[in-house]
Amino acid sequence: MSMVRSWTLGRVVSLVVLLAATAFSVFPFVWMLVGATLNPNEVLRGALRPGAEFASNWVKATRMYNLPLFFWNSLKIAVVTVLLGLLVNGFAAYGFEKYPSKARDRVFNVLLLTLIIPQIALVIPMFRMFAFMRLLDSHMAIILPAIMSVFIIFFMRQNFKMFPSEIIEAARADGASELTIFVRIVTPSMQATYVSSAIYIFINQWNSYLWPLITILSDAKKTMPIAISSMMSAYTIEYGALMVIVCISVLPVLILFLALQRQFVAGLLGSVK
Amino acid sequence: MKQKASYQRYLNRFGWFCVLPSVALFGVFMLYPILSSLYYVTRRWKGMSNTFIGLGNFIRMGQDKVFLSALGNNFLFMVVQIPLMVFLALVLAVILNQGIRRFKGAFRLAIFLPAVTSLVVVSVLFRVLLQENGMLNNVLLKAHLIAEPIGWLNDAAWAKVTIILAMTWRWTGYNMVFFLVGLQSIDPQIYEAAEVDGASKARQFFTITIPLLVPVILFSVVTSTSGTMQLFDEPNILTWQGGPANATMTAALYIYRQAFFVNADFGYATAMSYVVVLISGIFAFAQMRLLGDRGNK
Repeated sequence: MSMVRSWTLGRVVSLVVLLAATAFSVFPFVWMLVGATLNPNEVLRGALRPGAEFASNWVKATRMYNLPLFFWNSLKIAVVTVLLGLLVNGFAAYGFEKYPSKARDRVFNVLLLTLIIPQIALVIPMFRMFAFMRLLDSHMAIILPAIMSVFIIFFMRQNFKMFPSEIIEAARADGASELTIFVRIVTPSMQATYVSSAIYIFINQWNSYLWPLITILSDAKKTMPIAISSMMSAYTIEYGALMVIVCISVLPVLILFLALQRQFVAGLLGSVK
Repeated sequence: MKQKASYQRYLNRFGWFCVLPSVALFGVFMLYPILSSLYYVTRRWKGMSNTFIGLGNFIRMGQDKVFLSALGNNFLFMVVQIPLMVFLALVLAVILNQGIRRFKGAFRLAIFLPAVTSLVVVSVLFRVLLQENGMLNNVLLKAHLIAEPIGWLNDAAWAKVTIILAMTWRWTGYNMVFFLVGLQSIDPQIYEAAEVDGASKARQFFTITIPLLVPVILFSVVTSTSGTMQLFDEPNILTWQGGPANATMTAALYIYRQAFFVNADFGYATAMSYVVVLISGIFAFAQMRLLGDRGNK
């Protein structure tokens, strides 16, 4: 086939559509980086050429707004939630899948039923509960309710299905305890599942907005999304510093995505097979 | 025999040991809030005290024009944004799957990229880009595509367009990846057989590709519907508290404002959240039924 014939009309249209979609998708990222180097006026007008204000924006973001603290708060909350979430949900998924019993299946169905409840319906009674426990305005308030995730239990259970029960039986015959089997044999071979789940939990927690917005009151406890949203509600908005903080808040998820693309997508899409 | 029974009991106990932490957390942070909301929903808050009003909150809701129009906005975003996004994602997925040979990975990566941003970041970026004298208006003015700036954030109709635009930017690539996975799982032999039978490419698309993708499309519609029913971040930040003049107010944002912002009426807010749960449940049930029927065929 000649070069000319391979450039059919359909192929050209396809390419144009893809290029347009790419430009639309990527442009806000490029502009976000450029914006971090502009002064507030240029950000608003939307200058396309990088400016010379990055250093002063950075100073504002770190001195006026305490970006390092917000970043640390978000990171700490996300990492602790991931670790506890993997532990708790991993055990639950394994228990539901590999120790079948009617009673536990019923419990699992109750868990699944609550998947359709939107967060907005839970935050009001949760707020009253945390106020009663005197845990408002604390990072515990953000971590505790996020550890158990019905979706993650479901996702991990689907994956544990693929682990052959014969191996568990063989280990039992060798006299290994149930805990040893799970910790030493099952968990190490489910690494991909754990990585996908970790990514999912991390991103959800890193980006979470509604619940922290309700519970976090003091400046020192703010996470990245809360810091960004309260910058937007200020009387004067420091747009240059805002763009720096926005860039930094995208960075961890972007790095996770570029480093672990396959598990990242699996984590986002869940167990759709 | 007796030994076997006690071994089964041991296994059963270990099963409970595994699920216990999750079930305990579920009880405290899911079940208890749900049950306690049954108390709130019957009460009316005035300052720090509250009184029993039975179903009064639901009666009040029926006369609350802002809440009803907020629900209307949720439906509007649903019926406009979801089909638009599914169509775009489908077109892009099909092109990536068959239309081109080179740079597939690069295009897929670029179009998926918006899915790494949080909804707060999306809202901030679009809010800045769509200012009256902002980037998009300046570009459109310079290209002589418009005579005067568009009120992306200040005009009631355009503000709705803005929300749809931002949602489409954020979610199209995400759904495209779903569809790509679905497309790649279609057996190429089906197409070869159709080719032998003389079916055109267009015919193959409508009689093979689309029907086989229906479960994936339905799944993305189900998740998008539940996401749109909970729409909160974008109207709160991008169009600023559901503005202009409640034109982009959504149910979730209105509930939040009633409970935590305007007059701290937890009872009324809970009652409204019941309606959102009910609507989400009906949608999920209806769509799952559709999905289930298709899956059994």
